[in-house]
Parts: sequence; structure tokens; C-alpha cells
Amino acid sequence: MGTTRRQLIVRGSQLAAGAALAPAFLTLSPRASLAQDKVTIDFPYLWTGPEGEAMQKIADDFNASQGEVEVKGVSNPDQQRQLAAMASSNGFDISDGFDNQIGTWADNGAIQALDDFISGSSYDTSDFIPSVLEKMSFDGKTYALPVAVHTTLLLHNTTLLEEAGVEPPKTTSELAAAIEALTKVDGNGAIQQLGMQQPDFVSFAYSFGGQWIDDQNQPTANHEGNIAALQFWVDNVLNKYGADNVKRFQSGFGEYASPQNPFYTGKVAMVTDGEWQARFTQQYAPDLKWTAAPIPVPDDKPELEGTSSIASSIFFIPSNASDADAAWAFMQYVMSPDAMRDFTVALANLPTRQSLLKDKAYEEIPGMHYWLESLSSKNLKAMPNVPWGQEYGTEITSTIDEVINLNKTPEQALNELQEKAKGLAG
Amino acid sequence: MRIATHKPVPPAVLGVLFALPWIVGFGIFQLYPILASAYYSFTEYNLFKPPVWVGLENYRELFNDDRFFKSMFNTLYMTVIGVPLGLFFALICALALNTPSRLQPFYRAIVYLPTIVPVVAATYLWRWMLNAQYGYINAILGGLGLGQPLWQEDATWTKPALLFIGFWTVGGTTIIFLAALKEVPQSYYEAADIDGANWWSKFWNITWPAISPVTLFQLVIGVIGSLQYFTQAYLFAQERLNTPSGGPEDSLLMYGMYIFQNAFSYLNMGYASALAWILFLVALACTLVILGFAGRWVHYEGD
Repeated sequence: MGTTRRQLIVRGSQLAAGAALAPAFLTLSPRASLAQDKVTIDFPYLWTGPEGEAMQKIADDFNASQGEVEVKGVSNPDQQRQLAAMASSNGFDISDGFDNQIGTWADNGAIQALDDFISGSSYDTSDFIPSVLEKMSFDGKTYALPVAVHTTLLLHNTTLLEEAGVEPPKTTSELAAAIEALTKVDGNGAIQQLGMQQPDFVSFAYSFGGQWIDDQNQPTANHEGNIAALQFWVDNVLNKYGADNVKRFQSGFGEYASPQNPFYTGKVAMVTDGEWQARFTQQYAPDLKWTAAPIPVPDDKPELEGTSSIASSIFFIPSNASDADAAWAFMQYVMSPDAMRDFTVALANLPTRQSLLKDKAYEEIPGMHYWLESLSSKNLKAMPNVPWGQEYGTEITSTIDEVINLNKTPEQALNELQEKAKGLAG
Repeated sequence: MRIATHKPVPPAVLGVLFALPWIVGFGIFQLYPILASAYYSFTEYNLFKPPVWVGLENYRELFNDDRFFKSMFNTLYMTVIGVPLGLFFALICALALNTPSRLQPFYRAIVYLPTIVPVVAATYLWRWMLNAQYGYINAILGGLGLGQPLWQEDATWTKPALLFIGFWTVGGTTIIFLAALKEVPQSYYEAADIDGANWWSKFWNITWPAISPVTLFQLVIGVIGSLQYFTQAYLFAQERLNTPSGGPEDSLLMYGMYIFQNAFSYLNMGYASALAWILFLVALACTLVILGFAGRWVHYEGD
């Protein structure tokens, strides 16, 4: 990890020196073919730890199942490095990512359209959940296939809720009351326990009826639902307990994928998170008692009930793949019902094949049913694929930063973001 | 039978031949990329599609780009505050190390030691040292009854935190100062002692002018290095899966990081090249200004 990161840094500083070495440098030598009798393809994946091991097992199974393609898998949880490799002459053949990258990458020509492969091998895509498959396309072409789909729910630490006599909240006013009842502050104002961990505001806003990009692919950053979501956090947490106190408390949070995750240690009583928590809690906090339910919605908007963001983990083939055919063969294998079941069960991810949704294998994972049920909601929201999606994401993050540091009101900050976003989209 | 006679190769040609490996390397790996980046800065180029000429568009865009100004501000902050403070601190260390003591080699090793710790490891270590809740630094500050800043969460404290860890690795600069101090002729001090000069007047009239060429050198190197500041800020701002980040309110977004993000996260290679050229011009201007004023305070032996 050290070397690779250093290589990145070196490249970055070379650019900074005014001598933009990297771009010209990277296009110099054509990629040497590794092919002997077997075709070897490189497959770095973003998964790490037990999740990475599960992915590696799929690759190993594939290697054992046939004699033509050898997949060399390696865990590489570094998106910047991934993209740098895609732009170099020495890249990889297949990898994974998230559906929100498809627009930017397809528009840039960084990833290959899969339509020819799909028609060439008469690959049947009808079993994929239609709304998820739809997100794989950009400009009428399919650029990726989804291996797993993710929704977001509110998890409750049952022990802490019972202690405080709080029922899992269904509306935002109940949520506000629950946060208050579940937050503990000492005599100096220092937070000992926080009712709810700061949510991912992009998906939190959906539960307030918010939206970030409309059907015409235009930005709607200052949508009233987005403002309401941020305002909720400002009113019920930041102004109440002090933005600095909250930050200080958060600075002591342990690693996300570890037993020190603040939800597992009881530092936060509620958290919005994805279905993999069904497996994470088993691995990192086997004694934790928890339940999950849809994120609360405003009292006067019951029609929003069951709102969740929906996102998917995708497989794609970069434009600079040395052997796209072999990569496609591996992709088909990963997407096959058996491999997808093995993988998504190992990670407790939601499968993207309709035929797997009722599969018994998911029942053995405690808590998985909460997310499986969430998939049937009418209110699943995602951002459309737009070429400016990646930069919009960065802008959203820094805007949220300004709000949680109380430098600007949510309305002010989101109005400014809207202006910037219009520039990006225009 | 005639014996073939070779004309001797002219020395100039021979010289070029000997230098050829370097010339070829320089041409391919430095000159060509530099020229290429100049060309790309006038294009829209994402590495995947051929560059498209857009004239001055990239340079025009800079003026409407908040992050360009923010990253420039952050970098100049680190340079204007960090470099002089670092030199001052290194000089203090060098002066202290220059006082005769039996343990002097030991002290020197202590001061120099941090600079051999790999920067990535050191920065991760400092992330924990500066943790707002559990870090040693805040524990010490709290013990002294002082404020406990949110070093990594509060935009006003993130850059001071970086300056802080910069001082930890001041050993390299200190060693160079120390070498310069050893070079100052003892006879000057002896003469000053006879005249009854105090410590300050000896420092100001003898030591400071005598080491001024070395100070100038360190200043120029420090400024150029600081304008390319990258690693520590990059690691401080790092998030899960290493997605592009600039820390709280982009307070850690250094100019080099912004170039990197444009190039490799947003695939705006043309814009990144324009940014790189602006940085080159800024570095050039800073160096010229420093050298321009150098005549007023730098003294060379024999002047």
C-alpha cells in the first residue's frame, strides 16, 4: 500500500513541478502482452478484508472452472489509483466501482460499452432488476453490469433505545425526539453518546423529498427537501449540542470496518447504513442487538415512506484493457446466479438478479430481511448518470462541509451550490 | 597495402557523444513532457480522447474557479508562514547544537532522526498524535489548561497542524545550518570578544552575515518545495477508498493536490496542465523576487 500510494504522490508532485510528466509518460510504451498458453487478466478490486477475500474466492473459483483465462485478483481500495491506471498504458482488464461513476467515465471514454459483448454472446440481461440495469447505461449504451445493489436504512441500537424508552422513529419529529433522548452530554458540554451519527446527506435528503438532479438531467441542489434535510441536522444536533462538540466527539470514532465502529461501541445510538451491516455486525460486533427500519420521513409527507437511496456495485471493462474478451468472460461468470449468490451472501449485499431475491441463502443472515424488504419500496432514489456527476459530488461534499461547520445556512449554501452546479451542467 | 587511418574525433563531438545518454533521457523524460504539458494546457484533454484545441479557455476558467484560489491560498499560507518559521526554528536548533557539549553528537542524532522516518508513516502517526479527543498533543495542552483545538476537523487548525508536523522534520535544514555555522572563522568571534561584544551583537554582525548565503539557498529551496506541498496534506485529507478530498472546507487542498485531482480524478488533463504552468510561473516569480532582494542581506566571502 505504501509504495503504490507513494507512486501516486510522486506522479502528483511531478505534475506540480510544472513538468506534467505523467500524461506523456504514460502513453509511451504499448502494453506488453502477458499471453502464453493461458490468457492472464488483471483484476484489482476495491473490496478489502473479509469482503476482499470473498471476491478473491470468486476469482479463484473462476480460474478453477476453466483453462483459458487466468484472473489475477488483488485488493486495491484506492479509487484515485484505479483511475490513474485506467488512464495509463499499464492498466488492468476488469474492476469494480459504483454506478454513479458510469456517466463521467463513459463520457470520457474511460470504459468500454458492453453492447457488442452482450449481443455477441447472446447474453440474457432480463433477470436483472430493470431499474438497476437501467442505471448501467449512458447515451443509450450499456457500460457496466451490477453485481450488487445497496439501499440505506436507519439502524437502531436496541439496548440503548430500550434503556432510554425510545421506540424506533418513523417520522422526522419522532427522530428529533429520539436523538434528544439518546444523546448524553457531560457537565462540560462534551458529548458522551450521540443519538444519531451524521448521515450521508445525499441519501438523507431523499427522505425529506429532496432531489439532486431532475429528470431533465438538470441540477436541483437547492431543492426544498435538500434544504430541509440539512436544516434538520443543524437544528436537532449542531445547534443543540454545539458543532465543535460534535466534531470533537466524532474525531474519536474508530475505523468503520472494525469493532471500534461508533455504532458497535454504543457511541452513537442510530446510524443510516447499508445492507452489508448485516454481515459487518456479525463479524465485528456479534453481541450487538440492533434492528433496522426505513429512514423517517416528515410528518406531513407520509407518501415518502420507505424512501431510500439505491446504488449499485458495478463491474466494468476499462478502454485500455489488454484482453476485453477474457474480461467479459470473467464478468459473465461473476454475474452468473451462483457466483452472484456466493458473493452477495458472503458480503450480505443485495443481489441484482430478480431470481435471487427470494433465495433462501439470504435468510441465514440475521437482519438481511430489512433490506430485502426495502427493495420493494416505491420510493427508491438515485442520481441519473451525468458526465458532470463526479465533480458535482465533490461540490456537494464541500457544501455540506460549510453547513456542518455552521459557516452558512443550508439554504445559503445550497443556493450557491446550485449556481456552481449549473455551471458544471451547462 | 594501405593502413586505414582514422581521423581523430573532434573533442566537441566526443563530448556530446559522452553526454548523449543524458541528453536523450532529458529530452524524452523532461523536455518533451514539459513542452507537451504546455500544449495540453491549451486543449481539452481527458487522456482517453485526442486533445481538442480550446485556446486560452483553461486559463480563463481559472478565474472563475473557487478551488483554484482556495488551493493557491492554502499553498501560499504554507509557504509564507511555514518556510520562514521552519528556517527560524532550524536555525535555533543549529545554534543550540553548535554550543560545545560532550553529548553533542547525541543531540544532533535526535534532531535529525525524525527526517529519516518515511513521510507516510510519520503523517499517519501525527494524525493520531493530533486526534482531538485521544491525541497526546491535546492531552498535553489540556494538562496545561490550554485550549484543545480540533486539529483535523476545524478548517482554521488544519494548516497549523501541518506546520506543526513540518517543524518535527526540521533536522535536514538544521544540519545544513550547522555545517554553515562551523565554517564561520573563529577569529571573528575572538576579535569581537576583545571588543567586548555581547551574544546578540556577535550573532547579528558575524554569524548571520556569514551564513546568509546558506540561508538564501535554504529559503529558495524551501519556497519551491513548499509550493509543491503535497504528501502530508494529501494524507491528512484522506478518506475511505481514497476518494478525492480537500479536508474540512478544502482547508487542506494544496495546489499540487488540486492539479492531481483535476488530472486523475476529474480527468481534466488540459486544465491540470494549465494549473501546473501557473504554478511554474508563481515559483519562478517567487524565486526572482527572493534573489532580487538577496543583495540587501546576503553577504558572500570576499564581498
